[in-house]
Amino acid sequence: MSVPKPFSERYEAALANDALSESLLSFQRSWRDTRDAQILDLESISGLKAEALSSGLAAMKDGVIADLPATIARFRAAAEAAGAIVFEATTAEQANEYIAQLCRDRGVRTVVKGKSMVTEELFLNEHLERAGIKAIETDLGEWLLQLDDDRPSHVVMPAIHRRRQEVARILERELGVPFDDDDIPAMVRSARTALREHFLSAGVGITGANALIASTGSTLLVTNEGNGELSASLPPVHVVVAGIEKLVPTMADAMKQVRLLARSATAQSITTYTSFFTGPTPGHEMHIVLVDNGRRAMAAEDWSSAALRCVKCGACANVCPAYQVVGGHAFGHVYTGPIGLVNTAFHHGIEAAAGPQSLCLSCGACETVCPVEIPLPQQILQVRRRVAEEVGIPRKRRLAMRAFASRRLFGLGVRLAAIAALPFRRGRFTKAPFTARFTTWRSAPALPLRPARAHGALHASRAAIARTEATGRRVTLFMQCVSDRVAPEVVLATADLLRAAGCEVDIPEAQHCCGLPAIDSGDDANARRMARQTLEVLAGADDVVTPAPSCAIAMLHDYERLFEDEPVWQERARRLSGRVYDLTGYLVGPARLPDGVLARGDTRPVAIDRFCQGANVLGRGDTLETLVRGLTGANVVPLDEAEVCCGFGGSTSLLAPDLSRGVLERKLDNVRASGARVLLTDNPGCLLHLGGGADAADMDVTVMHVAEYLAARLPGR
Amino acid sequence: MTTGTVLLDELRTRALAAQSVVHELPTWADVAALALALAGDEAVAVTPTLAAAHPELAAALGARLLLPDPASPFESVADAAVGIAEGVLAVAESGSVLLAHDARADRAVSMFSRIGIQVVSRDRVVPSLGDAAAWLEANEGAVSLATLVTGPSRTADIERSLTIGVQGPSDLHLVVLG
Repeated sequence: MSVPKPFSERYEAALANDALSESLLSFQRSWRDTRDAQILDLESISGLKAEALSSGLAAMKDGVIADLPATIARFRAAAEAAGAIVFEATTAEQANEYIAQLCRDRGVRTVVKGKSMVTEELFLNEHLERAGIKAIETDLGEWLLQLDDDRPSHVVMPAIHRRRQEVARILERELGVPFDDDDIPAMVRSARTALREHFLSAGVGITGANALIASTGSTLLVTNEGNGELSASLPPVHVVVAGIEKLVPTMADAMKQVRLLARSATAQSITTYTSFFTGPTPGHEMHIVLVDNGRRAMAAEDWSSAALRCVKCGACANVCPAYQVVGGHAFGHVYTGPIGLVNTAFHHGIEAAAGPQSLCLSCGACETVCPVEIPLPQQILQVRRRVAEEVGIPRKRRLAMRAFASRRLFGLGVRLAAIAALPFRRGRFTKAPFTARFTTWRSAPALPLRPARAHGALHASRAAIARTEATGRRVTLFMQCVSDRVAPEVVLATADLLRAAGCEVDIPEAQHCCGLPAIDSGDDANARRMARQTLEVLAGADDVVTPAPSCAIAMLHDYERLFEDEPVWQERARRLSGRVYDLTGYLVGPARLPDGVLARGDTRPVAIDRFCQGANVLGRGDTLETLVRGLTGANVVPLDEAEVCCGFGGSTSLLAPDLSRGVLERKLDNVRASGARVLLTDNPGCLLHLGGGADAADMDVTVMHVAEYLAARLPGR
Repeated sequence: MTTGTVLLDELRTRALAAQSVVHELPTWADVAALALALAGDEAVAVTPTLAAAHPELAAALGARLLLPDPASPFESVADAAVGIAEGVLAVAESGSVLLAHDARADRAVSMFSRIGIQVVSRDRVVPSLGDAAAWLEANEGAVSLATLVTGPSRTADIERSLTIGVQGPSDLHLVVLG
């Protein structure tokens, strides 16, 4: 097996492979259903909520990570007492050379291997090959990839990117007999026969470990095929290679991990084989190679240490919309999926992480299924900040960000663009030939000549239609830069709804951008500048309401982190966070209007896109559906995968438009299947993305911000 | 229903879900009869540990008994029609049997047979994986190879198509004895 090709080649190859995204889509859908059922099952078995089980596992792993030397010492003593030889390797080179030397000392030229991500990380096979030792993978998927000089694209299902026709050809080449493309059982039988010869002739068996149990010195290994068990017990020498983060204190802790691992990985309650190896079998040898290779550095930093909790289940990839479109070769390096965007920086360097991390849409789905609660979205953003500092910000992202940095320049730019685009206006959209790459699949909006702030209606008073908790409150409307300049109707509708709920609406002229595009780009300096400016503008209001939940989330979740080394600004951010609402949150909270006060009678089926971060970060479920149905009596129809990202993803859609398009297609297919004629979203970025996509695809559906839909039903509007 | 019945029902449900076949048999002679029926006219392999502990099983298998050759245990039982092993626990929560082997010959029988029979005494059925963890913790150092086996060997590595029987047995029978 070779080392990964350059990122741009991997990304282009993935985009060219339609079969890949189709098969990953069907995989993600079926995994989600089965996994959710398995988690419910575990809740009923254990009598505990999934969150409690995950927090328990996370706390156990954190305890180990916080005290690695003591846990390693306990494990070493117990393993040695059981007769194993323990070797601690700081670098990949040390680990590889220890194993190569062991093979040389025993006169071994052929080793069999169970599936092991850490040996992929170390490039152990390549090292052994250079030493004249042949390493044979025995996991079926890994073996097939090895035969074809390919690499795993998923931590659990390595060959998920390969089709059965390709597998048949690989086996024909290796075994010299023909295979029927549709006879998978025959392929598996032949693999069993071929691999059995290797098990019987190899002099060393190498496996990874899912856990290292400190109290007994045992190593835990789970497989479904049984190949790991055979690799461990047939050859006279068993070598276990494991990262130091695999340590757990006791068997009971290991079993807690077992309960969550298979459910999160393959959505099984338990794997077929769950094996504990404690010392060698009589007359044999067992070596345990404990690998650092960047792990202690990962443990040493506050932002990254939680990534060491990872149990390599792959759940994060299984819900990642970007992974679905491009697979693990592009969305990852050696380690794939969201966790791969983080740990690659430590195992293989920041350069190796730079390309893959640029594909993250920041939707937050990964964190919601992680069985050890790794804050992956924040960690990926931190990797992006590192990439920005050490590798540089990509030109497109830098330009986009610069455009947002100044209120005047941004306003002027949009106005000039609006004038230039006037001849190309087609209704609500612009069809200009020179922006084809971005607009053939997503029509650009017709840019308004006047921003929201210049509309008299925004500042006019309006009578309240009901008494709410927010009646009489002074609300600062944070318009959001994009809505103000590109979708002023959203801002006008928001102001109308707030006034209808009895609020006194204040619109500071100096407001501009919250800094999200800079945060999202890993551009710390600009992010801080814009966040400070926003904090100054918003000081003093009772409540702050914005029609953009993405901006509210930036203020609520990102500001405090952004200012972690500036206590004064961090305190201001903390004070603001108690008063910030997105419009949806305000409408279902203090400004909840009574059901039925808005005009009814629109019978068109309405689908509601659940803004991904709203669902994943704020924990919103059917909040908007209930609100819209209650206020207007609308015919709200179910939308499959409503909380899966639409592909907007801020600057990622600019940097990786083809990825963004792939994610959008999944959403639009779901919208088509829902039969909706109106599609509502509560995030302005998604509004432009979905609206443009639906227009370019000629769909018979009107895409609106929920504020527009509701405000249009206010009395007298 | 007694607690025992509830436990056994749970074990049966979970084992079936993992595609094991569950039997309740009174004696080792019944286990031998099941093995002989499953083996057709082929031999029945038995782990050396089990054969030594229960000579009545070996006796009931008669000439069809196959014991691994200590010099080359895996080669000698490779693709035996049936292999019988005794488990130390059965776990109701997951439908698993805990095999605890110190000898490779025992593992050769449990891993290299085409059909596996795993026998667990009725009083060794425990509710949860936590009980299995407690056993493993208490027997530290006593066994070098301990495996919770849950159903027949399987793979989904080719287009996620579930295929039963890769390296280990492709049929698994779980016998609750006594």
